[in-house]
Amino acid sequence: MTRTPPAGPATPRPWWLGLAVLAAGGAWLYGALALPQTVRYAVVGPGIFPLLVGAGLVVLGLLLLVQIARGERFAPQDAEDVDVDAPVSWRALGTAIAASAVPIFTMRRLGFPVTAALSFALVARAFGSATLLRDLAIGLAIGLICWYGFSELLGIGLPLAPVLLDR
Amino acid sequence: MEALGALAQGFGVALQPINLVFAFVGSVLGTAIGVLPGIGPALTIALLLPVTTRIAPTGAFIMFAGVLYGAMYGGSTTSILLNTPGEAGSIMTALEGNRMARAGRGAAALATAAIGSFVAGTLATLALTFAAPLIAELAFVFGPADYFALMVLAFTSVSVVLGASRVRGFVSLFIGLAMGVMGIDAQTGQARLTFGSPELLDGMELTTVLVGLFAVGETFYVASRFSSQPPQINPLAGGAWLTREDWKRSWLPWLRGTLVGFPIGALPAGGSEIPTFLSYTIERRLAKRPDEFGRGAIEGVAGPEAANNAAAAGILVPLLTLGLPTSATAAILLAAFQNYGLQPGPFLFINSADLVWGLIASLYIGNAMLLVLNLPLVGLWVRLLLLPRKYLYGGILVFAMIGVYGASNSWLELVLMVVVGLVGYVMRVYDFPIAPVLIGLILGPLAETQLRRALAISQGDPTVLVSSPVSATILILSALVFFLPALLKRLRAAAS
Repeated sequence: MTRTPPAGPATPRPWWLGLAVLAAGGAWLYGALALPQTVRYAVVGPGIFPLLVGAGLVVLGLLLLVQIARGERFAPQDAEDVDVDAPVSWRALGTAIAASAVPIFTMRRLGFPVTAALSFALVARAFGSATLLRDLAIGLAIGLICWYGFSELLGIGLPLAPVLLDR
Repeated sequence: MEALGALAQGFGVALQPINLVFAFVGSVLGTAIGVLPGIGPALTIALLLPVTTRIAPTGAFIMFAGVLYGAMYGGSTTSILLNTPGEAGSIMTALEGNRMARAGRGAAALATAAIGSFVAGTLATLALTFAAPLIAELAFVFGPADYFALMVLAFTSVSVVLGASRVRGFVSLFIGLAMGVMGIDAQTGQARLTFGSPELLDGMELTTVLVGLFAVGETFYVASRFSSQPPQINPLAGGAWLTREDWKRSWLPWLRGTLVGFPIGALPAGGSEIPTFLSYTIERRLAKRPDEFGRGAIEGVAGPEAANNAAAAGILVPLLTLGLPTSATAAILLAAFQNYGLQPGPFLFINSADLVWGLIASLYIGNAMLLVLNLPLVGLWVRLLLLPRKYLYGGILVFAMIGVYGASNSWLELVLMVVVGLVGYVMRVYDFPIAPVLIGLILGPLAETQLRRALAISQGDPTVLVSSPVSATILILSALVFFLPALLKRLRAAAS
């Protein structure tokens, strides 16, 4: 490599991206090899397509690594309400991830409306809201309205209260 | 004129009061989500899927079509007033439209966009009316190898056209394909790549993937880089509607945009990016005052907007006649057909004529509704932009969990939603396109079926894949698609 990447390394090289694709490819290859590749009556077995997919991912992971080694630049995507030049707020990101993970722990134990209130308030916080009680109240209201609309009117099962006490 | 008779029958279906209501609900919902950031037509239709299991497929698809068309109208409103093109197809609209809005001609830009969308949507639907049955007729002779080749073409074109780089486009596609093979193999009953989890025997839930990639991933991304400045909305007041001169300068670009948009949208390599770029370039070449381009030329709004809407109708041609989706939204529509146990393709026109023609007829009706909804009522939609972002994204997450948990009641799906959301976040940060994941996930299993069918017929001889003239031609076309990025780059350079 004699060529220097243009304008210096703006972002550290994301080797892990290539490695992650490679690892996924490996996992799919491993899974595919455990499957029968041929069946007598249909010639092609259930293993062939996953094998192709796994091999494709491995090749793509290697290509991605080569690109990264050559200094490929990865510009964040443009989106509404996004300032791509702003420093990344890890705190906001962490709060948002926590908000989306809340239902894993509370959906069955506390029911949908409470879960909705917690998630809603956490997302609002990630977006810089400082009115926690108000956000919780709005979230609970949305949760109750949605529970009524979806569970009672449309028949999509959402737990109202802790599952053990559910009707 | 067989198509006219079928269309008349379709209007009989679409004009039933209940279906008019569905068209109206879809149009309103579509415009709203087109205006709002963070939620698009693909995600909306996916969230509607569980709700619609109990209504007749005709009504559901009429509503989905309203969402699809409405989102285009709403999207042009935001690109003109906010300069934030929500999707690739409205980048060109934002270019000139936003300059017009800043110069106080926002109302004229919105009007030419809305009327242009109406004209293009109606003409393109007319073209769809006559082209679709013919292509469906052709598709009867396609064998499994030909279908497989068509799907390869769709795969390569979405990966090459939609991404910033071909490698990243294909990585996205293969992630989708990899998720598509999970679960029980339909032909042998063998469990594949379930990693020992009985809940994964049904495969990856489409709703979970969509909600994770779009709603959750987008929420993470926007939260981490939230621009604290409130959006700058260009005022609508004071601007005149279309003047006589505006009409004179708009009508030809509308027609030319339609002519460019529909055929390209109908190709498996379609999408809306190329036709809008092309239309913009053409209008700039043909303009009497090219110096106005870059400072708010009305032709630069009228042409690309028409092309965008015509391409949206064009996308329905391969979807309905061949079962081939070429955009994220089309992929969801295909999944919706499968949900109802229907397989788009030539037989759909025979077995479900009422559904297909009712859907096509409803496109005419939906377009007229959208014109009324968007021209006089645009001020109302602009209000939606003022919704505080903290509540908007909070609400999106609540609906996301309803979509994921309500349909399955599965704890694992909630975990997967967060995992896929993180993948969606990483894809946005490192600029991997999202749509190829969905195409891979939904079209992948169908491609596998065709591949195995073709190889079973040939007793395992792989040359069967290239031995028919149709499949060989299509595969050569797929190879040519690799050179599209260079062409796109030239178009982009010509446009700026």
